[in-house]
Amino acid sequence: MERRGFIKKGLQWAASLLGASFLAYPAFSFMTFRKATKKRIVFHPEDQAGAVTFKEGVYLIREPNEIFALSAQCTHLGCTLNYDAVSGRFACPCHGSVFTLSGKRISGPARKDLYRVPLTKTASGDIEAVLEVG
Amino acid sequence: MSFPGRIISRISLYLPRLGLSALILCLVSGLVLAFYYRPMGNVFQNVEEITTLVPYGWFFRQLHYSAGQVFVILMLLHTLDHFFRRRYRIYALGEWISLIVSLALCFYTLFTGFILKADQEGVFAGRIFMNIIETLPVAGGAIARLFIVPGNSFFFLPYLYHSFFLPLLIIYLMRGHIREWFPNERFLLSGGIGLSLYALFVSPRIDIPPDASVAVVEGPWFFLGIQSLLKVLPSFLAGLVIPGLFIGCILVLPAAGPALRALSFNERIIRIGETGLYCLLIISICLYAFLTLRAAIWGP
Repeated sequence: MERRGFIKKGLQWAASLLGASFLAYPAFSFMTFRKATKKRIVFHPEDQAGAVTFKEGVYLIREPNEIFALSAQCTHLGCTLNYDAVSGRFACPCHGSVFTLSGKRISGPARKDLYRVPLTKTASGDIEAVLEVG
Repeated sequence: MSFPGRIISRISLYLPRLGLSALILCLVSGLVLAFYYRPMGNVFQNVEEITTLVPYGWFFRQLHYSAGQVFVILMLLHTLDHFFRRRYRIYALGEWISLIVSLALCFYTLFTGFILKADQEGVFAGRIFMNIIETLPVAGGAIARLFIVPGNSFFFLPYLYHSFFLPLLIIYLMRGHIREWFPNERFLLSGGIGLSLYALFVSPRIDIPPDASVAVVEGPWFFLGIQSLLKVLPSFLAGLVIPGLFIGCILVLPAAGPALRALSFNERIIRIGETGLYCLLIISICLYAFLTLRAAIWGP
């Protein structure tokens, strides 16, 4: 190929790539945009009776001097953890990670501890956990 | 031709034709199911209604499931048949790539179908898939949102892929490879009767609600090997790098010889290079089959 032809072809390719990226970037931004939403999980007084209560992806844990909530999603790849009342631990049914009742990782492929979910207590005695989705 | 040779060539002839019959049945039953299936709201309840309330819903669900599985298994066997007999040498690189990509997309279609059951296995598989893509460096989170998003629209994108993008893309990629789109009536009839009998006499598995507490949750059969690997290897490695490398090596297999030839290696090195890659792929397939079988018998 002659030098002039080569340069012309190269310029054509560069122009098409530039044109495509002008369209591709906005399209990618549009397609991947998600509005962050919050999900509120309400534990009514009757839900708070047990030491460990599960509701809509959140474990509410009542300890002698503290009430806190943990996200039930495994920090490895997001499966919902099971609570084993005998050992007092959370176990992942997909890849076998194990966590303590306070959410600390013990074993398995997960590397992080469980996320603590912020709680608020209402005047009527309900406890609200707010989970961020998306 | 010797007796085993005749049998193999007969099987090679029947596999794709039976597969095409299964594809047609799968598309027709999927079309019927689409009239009731809704990917928003309580999807688990919707699937349960299809199975237990809607007239003949259980039949069409089973027919769709079995036809999809049979189509992909036959396509896999058809590709393995070509691979083991080293027939990739007679394909143009572009055609070989289209076939392998369409097979990978067929597995992705099965996987989206697995998610769309919306039971515990389906929901967990979707979350695992999303979290694995998120491990991609730089734009992992954004790329994951092209396939699946958490929240109320969790099933919407897999549904869009399963019922629209993937079938169109697969048919487009296979258009040059399939000689006749409507197989001989004998194949269509035998496929139809066999799969209908399966759908009539084998009940769907009991679906476990997403919030139930179950000791072990298994992924689809073709990902059991990856599920085992995810227990011991980092997610990025087990979920993306290893499958990606494997598919990449299969894709470039027909190009290994010509590429080495272009670099002016002598014929002996070219033969060793190509055979080496072929053997490496066979070992990988055997290892993955072993991992899958082990996970199927003893759990992942």
